[in-house]
Amino acid sequence: MRRVGPLLVERRITPPRSAVIGVSALAVVIALLVAAIIFWGYGVSPWQAYAAIARGTVGSRDGINEILRRSLPLILCGVGLTLAFRAQFWNIGAEGQLLAGAVAATGVALFAPLPGPWLLLAMFAAGFLAGGAWGIVPALLRAKLHVNEVISTLMMNYIMIYIVEWLIHGPWKGATMRGFAYSDFFPAAARLPWIPGSRVHWPTLVIGVAAAVAVALILARTRLGYEIRVVGQSTDAARYAGIDFLRVIAWAMFLSGGLAALAGVGEVAGVHFRLRSPTHISMGYGYTAIIVAWLARGSPLAAVFTALLFGLIFAAGDVIKVALRMPFQITGVFNGLILFFLIGSEMLMYWRVRLAPKGERWTGRAGSSER
Amino acid sequence: MRLVRLVAAVMVATAVLGAVGFAQAKLKVGFIYVGPIGDYGWSHAHNLGRLIVERDLGVETVYVESVPEGEVETYIDQLVRQGCNVIFTTSFGFMDGTLAAAQRYPNVIFAHCSGFKRAPNLATYMADFYQVYYLNGLMAGALTKTGKVGYVGAFPIPEVKRHISAFTIGVREVNPNATVHVRWIYEWFNPAAAKEATEALIAEGCDVFAFTEDSPTVVQVAAEKGFPSFGHYSPMYDFAPNHVVSGQIVHWEEIYVDFLGKVKAGEYTAKNLANVDYWWLLSQKAVELGAKSGMPVNPVFEGALKAYIVDHPVFGRISVYDLVFVRLAQMGNPGITFDPFEGPVYDRKGGLQVPAGHWMSYDALITMEWAVEGVVGPWPGEP
Repeated sequence: MRRVGPLLVERRITPPRSAVIGVSALAVVIALLVAAIIFWGYGVSPWQAYAAIARGTVGSRDGINEILRRSLPLILCGVGLTLAFRAQFWNIGAEGQLLAGAVAATGVALFAPLPGPWLLLAMFAAGFLAGGAWGIVPALLRAKLHVNEVISTLMMNYIMIYIVEWLIHGPWKGATMRGFAYSDFFPAAARLPWIPGSRVHWPTLVIGVAAAVAVALILARTRLGYEIRVVGQSTDAARYAGIDFLRVIAWAMFLSGGLAALAGVGEVAGVHFRLRSPTHISMGYGYTAIIVAWLARGSPLAAVFTALLFGLIFAAGDVIKVALRMPFQITGVFNGLILFFLIGSEMLMYWRVRLAPKGERWTGRAGSSER
Repeated sequence: MRLVRLVAAVMVATAVLGAVGFAQAKLKVGFIYVGPIGDYGWSHAHNLGRLIVERDLGVETVYVESVPEGEVETYIDQLVRQGCNVIFTTSFGFMDGTLAAAQRYPNVIFAHCSGFKRAPNLATYMADFYQVYYLNGLMAGALTKTGKVGYVGAFPIPEVKRHISAFTIGVREVNPNATVHVRWIYEWFNPAAAKEATEALIAEGCDVFAFTEDSPTVVQVAAEKGFPSFGHYSPMYDFAPNHVVSGQIVHWEEIYVDFLGKVKAGEYTAKNLANVDYWWLLSQKAVELGAKSGMPVNPVFEGALKAYIVDHPVFGRISVYDLVFVRLAQMGNPGITFDPFEGPVYDRKGGLQVPAGHWMSYDALITMEWAVEGVVGPWPGEP
């Protein structure tokens, strides 16, 4: 405990929900204020800017659809990552796992002669398995050979990116694409339906929310979830308790990779209807999802909301770019400011500030809990 | 009688006012770019065209840069909502999204760059470089001492393949044993990869360079080692004034001004564009040969090119310098009398692709997957 003027500052181990939400909201407000100065400096009235952003996002049906559409891949990737992160397994590979799902779904869509709805089901199933398999590899490397998973998951992204490039320039290059690097279009049965009047492929949304609930249940109510949490707290304790480290992280990564892959299936079956350049299938969703999961503090249900927050940030960026006609770099500055303040404010949640009671004396560094 | 005159006067006045009113229904033109306007390549060049349109035609323009291919429809929606009545989409990957949007907004005029799908309110346009690449090839063939010319290619798609083949035809017209060595980088904009590819080509023995990539990297890396090169897309003379021989420069404004002029005049409407396809080359001034605009050949290389005399089957003994300008005149003036792919042209596997006396059709050009003799290196999708 420490006295600063009339205030007492105290460190706490786990911040209460009110502190998390309060501090985060304050951080966003401060970021918006700083962004307002930039808008003003660029010659755009901040009031007009935020009015336009509100109209183009939360203030209209089109805007809300846009937020949903931009958050779809982030929900699935983010929920999947919370599972890996709870086991303290730093999966930086959601991008590659997402692309693995896109590849598997494309293979099924183009080459499997399945009727009607079975085709889409098979695409999601194949995608899940492919992403899960892609996710298990770094888990095995870590458990058997002590390979740092941050490096291996990150590197495997590039392998998958080049596999996609190879497929669209090589064996899967579409006969109807006049030599350009795209696969052929999927048949109609392999395309996801949209919410009418929007481009929101709603089955992916349903799957994403269901996945969040399922992962929350796994973590809270199953033996696997318990083991994941124990491994995340302490691998030594887990070993002492007889928990099979390999089995636990392999499962966590199978599910984590599989969920990211479902996002990839959603992108090719709901947006592109073909395999195309990896940078256009995923605009860094797998990396953005890391922040989604991190801001959600490992809670799959909260990840749905942080994913929606990012959908909102992206949609706002589009408004800045198109309606306000600022250079596209401003979008990056805007997004960056929000993240900077959100992440930078995190330490504040761990400090409790209150008025010191009258007469209480400064007692030196007795409570040496401060860092 | 008086009444008739009055009615006639009112009718004339209405018609005149109506026409004026129509002409004043201001055009608002939207441009959607795939890259940043600061890339000094494709999107940069389209944006220069937009600025000239704004200046010369006095129309209002709006642009969106760095639009991912799958997102084009969202941005079209936003531009239409803002009141754009003409929209240009400037990447092949925007094709199907633009077509879908054209069907959704039948009263908006669309034009898509480099694609092949059209609709009553969707035209297509392209300014192509293959003739210019051929002319640059003539100069490269004269300047190489090792007989190996290096080429850094972006993607192995028909457009780039066509350009490399036209370039190679030029090289071998003046230097029949020379070869063109190709490295692909699989990016439109990636200076690091372009640098690596150029260095690998230098290690292979190449001493003259051409490329398809949206930065001046190849020019700079080659110049560091003292090798000549050809600029691409934007004028690159200033990046290495002693080493840029010539290059390809685009003038999208020629197409934009022509198209929008016809829209303003009421010639193009949202109902009659199904057959409007601009395939503009040297003779329409949509592309230009030069290290920079107005400098077809860098004077530094004039002496070397004039000293390189070939025994040409058509023109007899002629310097490469003169040959370049003869060919430029043949392709650059209306009534074109020469095409780089004039038969007989064989692919590098020995198959006859263009019979003697024939030129390639437009369809054959834009779907071209084969490589001419003299191209060395991997060629994905080679038939």
